[in-house]
Amino acid sequence: MPEPLLYAQAMGVAAITSSVFVFVMIAVRRSVITSWLNAVCVVGLGLGLVTGYAWLGYHRSFPPTSGLDRLLMIVVPVTLFVELIATSTPISNAVSWLLRIVVAIAIPRILLHKSVYLNVTDDWTAWQANAMIAVSGILLVIVWGALSCVTQRSGGISIAFALCLAIQCAGTTVMLAGYIKGGAAAIPLAATVFGVSAASRVSTRYLRKDCEDRLPNSFLAPAIIALGVVGLFGLLFVGRFFGEISTMSALTILFAPVLCCVSEAPQIRNQKPWVVALLRVVLVAIPLTIVLVAAKREFDREMLPLLGDGIVSPQSQGCRSLRVRNWEESSQRELMSSVCVLDDATDTSRQRTRQVSRKAQEPR
Amino acid sequence: MKRVYRIIASAVLIGTLLCGGGVLSAADVYDYDGVHSSVSFKARHLDISWIHGRFNEVSGKFSLDREEPSKSTFSLTIQADSVDTANEARDKHLRQPDYFDTKQYPTIEFQSTSTKAIDGGYEVTGDFTMHGTTKQITLVLMGGKEHVFKDVKRVAFSTELSLKRSDFGFDPKAIGPIGDKALILIDCEGVRK
Repeated sequence: MPEPLLYAQAMGVAAITSSVFVFVMIAVRRSVITSWLNAVCVVGLGLGLVTGYAWLGYHRSFPPTSGLDRLLMIVVPVTLFVELIATSTPISNAVSWLLRIVVAIAIPRILLHKSVYLNVTDDWTAWQANAMIAVSGILLVIVWGALSCVTQRSGGISIAFALCLAIQCAGTTVMLAGYIKGGAAAIPLAATVFGVSAASRVSTRYLRKDCEDRLPNSFLAPAIIALGVVGLFGLLFVGRFFGEISTMSALTILFAPVLCCVSEAPQIRNQKPWVVALLRVVLVAIPLTIVLVAAKREFDREMLPLLGDGIVSPQSQGCRSLRVRNWEESSQRELMSSVCVLDDATDTSRQRTRQVSRKAQEPR
Repeated sequence: MKRVYRIIASAVLIGTLLCGGGVLSAADVYDYDGVHSSVSFKARHLDISWIHGRFNEVSGKFSLDREEPSKSTFSLTIQADSVDTANEARDKHLRQPDYFDTKQYPTIEFQSTSTKAIDGGYEVTGDFTMHGTTKQITLVLMGGKEHVFKDVKRVAFSTELSLKRSDFGFDPKAIGPIGDKALILIDCEGVRK
């Protein structure tokens, strides 16, 4: 069962741990440059995820056997490692993007490892499986590339915030479709991405004013975008192929953050930064809201009755219908009352039977 | 000449062993009869009632050696995707990774490793694999009565076993309203090949 309090705590722990680490590292450093800041963000992201998932009490198997375990134990660390290499070592932009593309293409195959999707059957050929993996990898590269491009051009924390919204939406949709653990995995991820991006932005702008000269305008570390996009993709991929979310919902959530690119239009780009930021978030929030509403309706129709918020109509004598609401919360109380109703009905029925039989026995 | 006789005798002996091996064996090999068998289960709901379900796609094979029961073998493969609790939404939920994770672990399997005869049946120990975790379990198969119906020899067994989902790598957080313990009931009829 979902545990909202635990989720809120995990969110807080992940956000605080990651942001405090980034704050402290920026505060103690004499000069802040982009490669160093990116490395700090990578470590901060890793720290936030580890503490967040630990607080959530994530039960992981080693070696990882499920798609979600492979996402958290292979895909996310590899992505962070590649970001560390790509931005903290003197390699060209082309090589760093080649590394990212290799990771992006490999991710779907890693997540589907040993699953039925890789088994060739009469209905499912190897060609179909490879095509599906390739298309998924290409979609990831497109989203990753588009968001990195807009981040490099104009930056801003609103892109990271839009990604957090998409991650939370993905988690909620996966959870509403019935995969609770998969949905809960979004919580530390979104919190960490938000914590690190907020901490790096606030500290470089207000805590260390000298950073303004050294860092590009509204600098957002590429590692934040990388982890956000890969995490979002991974959650949706796992939710689609191992859970029950629809392809349309998954694609809508995946591509929603790309709407941030609309802010690059000439008429919008020259607006005030807060207007651009607000526009980005609103644009991204619209499709996400639509998906969430659809997911909630689906949940109400399919899953809610399983949680006991359904109609129980025992075709028993003396009790025409009995609606039991919120079975989870008040099952005992309601069960007792329903038993009383049934008992009363049975007693009444017995009394009537006795009366009828007495009348029948009375001499006419 | 003696050498020729010896070669012929050896060839005849080897040929007899190779060709007649199946005839010499006392084991009867049976296939799981999906029409007259069932694998069902029940699990506690809110610790007040039981939810019943079954698996609709099961296959298996067993070889039964009446003279040397230790040579008997039993195997069963259940398609986890075929879970059926008479509620489509719940079945969908059960197929997801919080429960059976059928896309990752499509089958539930039992393969015997040792068999011994007991009063009224067999005690079969073997590897039970569910949700990617293999544990050794012992089944008490009761029955074994044979019946020939329309020239086809049939034999049947039934067993019940109790498992803890947490022992098989199910997420502990998914163990709440639905209890940890599950009872599995197997009624299996085999038809001889």
